[in-house]
Amino acid sequence: MDYSISLRLIAPEILLSVSGLVLLLVAAWGGQKTGRLVSILSAAALFGAGLMLFPTLHLGVVGPDTFAFGDQFRADAFAAFAKALIYLAGIGCLMVAPTYFDRLKAMKPEYPVLLLFAVLGMSIMVSASDFLTLYIGLELNSLAAYVLAAFLRNDTRSAESGLKYFVLGALASGILLYGMSLLYGFTGTTSFEGVRVALSGEMSTGMLFGLIFVLAGLAFKISAVPFHMWTPDVYEGAPTPVTTFFATAPKVAAIALTARVALDAFGTQVDAWRQVVIFAALASILVGALGAIGQQNLKRLLAYSSINNVGFILIGLAAGTVGGVGAMLVYLAIYVAMSLGSFVALLMLRDENGDALATFADISGLSAKRPALAWCLLALMFSLAGIPPLLGFFGKFVVFQAGVEADMVALAAFGIAASVIGAFYYIKFVKVMFFDDASERSVADSTTAHWVLLVVTTAIVSPLGYLVTPSLGDLTDKAASALFLLP
Amino acid sequence: MDYLAQYLPILIFLFIAAGLSAAFVFLPMGVSRLTGAHNPDTEKLSEYECGFPAFEEPRSQFDVRFYLVAILFIIFDLEAAFLFPWAVSLDLTGWPGWITMMIFLGELIVGFAYAWKVGALEWE
Amino acid sequence: MIQTIAFYLFAVLVIASAVMVIMARNPVHSVLWLILAFFNAAGLMVLVGAEFIAMLLVVVYVGAVAVLFLFVVMMLDIDFAELRAGFVRNFPLGIAIALVLLAELVLGIGAYQAGNLDLGTPAGDAAPMLGESNIENLGALLYGKYLFLFETAGIILLVAMVGAIVLTHRPPKTQRGHQHIGKQNARRPEDATVMKQPEVGKGVEL
Repeated sequence: MDYSISLRLIAPEILLSVSGLVLLLVAAWGGQKTGRLVSILSAAALFGAGLMLFPTLHLGVVGPDTFAFGDQFRADAFAAFAKALIYLAGIGCLMVAPTYFDRLKAMKPEYPVLLLFAVLGMSIMVSASDFLTLYIGLELNSLAAYVLAAFLRNDTRSAESGLKYFVLGALASGILLYGMSLLYGFTGTTSFEGVRVALSGEMSTGMLFGLIFVLAGLAFKISAVPFHMWTPDVYEGAPTPVTTFFATAPKVAAIALTARVALDAFGTQVDAWRQVVIFAALASILVGALGAIGQQNLKRLLAYSSINNVGFILIGLAAGTVGGVGAMLVYLAIYVAMSLGSFVALLMLRDENGDALATFADISGLSAKRPALAWCLLALMFSLAGIPPLLGFFGKFVVFQAGVEADMVALAAFGIAASVIGAFYYIKFVKVMFFDDASERSVADSTTAHWVLLVVTTAIVSPLGYLVTPSLGDLTDKAASALFLLP
Repeated sequence: MDYLAQYLPILIFLFIAAGLSAAFVFLPMGVSRLTGAHNPDTEKLSEYECGFPAFEEPRSQFDVRFYLVAILFIIFDLEAAFLFPWAVSLDLTGWPGWITMMIFLGELIVGFAYAWKVGALEWE
Repeated sequence: MIQTIAFYLFAVLVIASAVMVIMARNPVHSVLWLILAFFNAAGLMVLVGAEFIAMLLVVVYVGAVAVLFLFVVMMLDIDFAELRAGFVRNFPLGIAIALVLLAELVLGIGAYQAGNLDLGTPAGDAAPMLGESNIENLGALLYGKYLFLFETAGIILLVAMVGAIVLTHRPPKTQRGHQHIGKQNARRPEDATVMKQPEVGKGVEL
């Protein structure tokens, strides 16, 4: 095995882990006051790792040249695209965290370090081409995420959300491991390539069980229905910057991982998993739309919104074609922007005492008090609802198009119908902000970092975003082709 | 399976140990039951004058610091466990294997330095 | 022959002690039964030839994890009588889940015996037998083929350590009153006391 080639392929991961280790030492020696400095350095490390992806992404490198460590790890264009989204989301979450935690006097330099390690785990997940790599990356990400969810350890709700996430996440890991061991038992290998070959032809019951268990474990990680029940509780209880992180980066990682597993490892048995994915997609869209209707808490509402969006993303995967995966990646990119923007807006909704405006009652009449914030939220909500001309509409349009091209007209039609139900609560959000009587709660000023993030994400989802869609489509097409190297 | 034969002495030892300890426990019980008088009643079985029934569970809550120490112990225990297969297979893995373990130890040393510096290893 | 006897001995003991783990009245006893279960599982591992795993089970699980369990049991203020009441209430549900799992097992074994399931054979590149013993082969794979994953596992251990410290470590809030003998002895009366001569009718201004 030639290690130098492999090491060059994992350069972004090496950069992330080395900076994580160094920053941990900075945290230990510098103490609590280095929180902001470590955050900035972590963001810089993420940015540097992102720059390393650029050649792969731009040239659309796929194939055996990207296999590291004897095909345990693939640094191809697909992974690079997902990593770029994950790093960007990570940088966004690092930008908003210090202000939030400083207010609670809980900013610790361990926060950015743990976030960096979580991102490292995701980076390994999206590059995994062996079930062992998959599991190790997933656990690295999850372990850091459990700690992040419980980061405000003196806040009961944060601790509760960490515990809930941990118990259910451990269960999901167990299910995933069970599926992986079944697959290993019946195919004799853990590499995606080997499993793919072994699964071709007639599939035995044991393999089918393994496949379903693996998909169930992954469905938990992407919070697709029926494995979504942890999402609202965890999102509500976790500190808001952590929720911002959960709603963006791990989603991208888990969905990209699912796509790679489904199309690479299980690529010869598309029919076996397609119905599972279709069911998860439909159920997620429906549950996400219906569950959000009664919610009063804004974080819970956005949690259901993320479940709903996962459903649309899965339609692209269910198509099982290059176009479908490309559409999925486009939707993912738009989703990250929308999700990041709306959670940053939630973080900005605070009164003068620093208490969050957490419910609909608190934000009624926001447009009178903070018109700019209200208009940004309007754009983000309409985009999440998929109302043209905002970019969210384009995302939905491409996945439905991919669905129709793959002869899944009924699925696409259902998706369109359900997105109308979903539009209800997004519009309610806007109605409360613009047309209801103003609540007594004042809204405090926000820092520049928040405004920059909000304006950038709003600009992306605004019709201006259509300027980048051609190049985005170009990138996603190259990335998607990485999963379809073999017949 | 000739390698299992190496474990035969341990198995025999186990049987003898189990047999002997069972004998030491149950033989006196059985002998005293058979030879002594044995007719208990409620008064005899109740607590004697100087004793009283327990008011509450005798357990008292531990400090959370015990838990932290235990977690750190597990982590370093695992790290040490990884050293055994590394040590015996070093002639097969060569320099890459050696460097691998040094990086691994480096990672854990960073963790150790962190734990030390933030005072996780101090009791007071 | 001895192997078979040993297998049944360990297997029966591991199941019996596992049952005792959930039946024991005292949670500390549960943990002790769990340790016995680990020991017997280690015996089973030796029987299938996984010596290193067996030793790992004893060193890590019995030596460390069980101790951790004991600490957690001692740390939490749980009314175990109440928990057990919940156990009785949820008993039908538990039985239902157990039946489902049993059905799965029966189905699996039935399918296996009917020849519908054929186990895969290890891929040719998966395990070249390099060394003589189990542990040597394990090392050759872990520090050769899978060294990338091994390093990542090291990072996971590091994250676990950092996480545990972040969530449970409380820095001492106030420096407790340590006596500084030198400081005490160095203190002179003129540092501590002030002589004032107030005028009659006026208070002292300090």
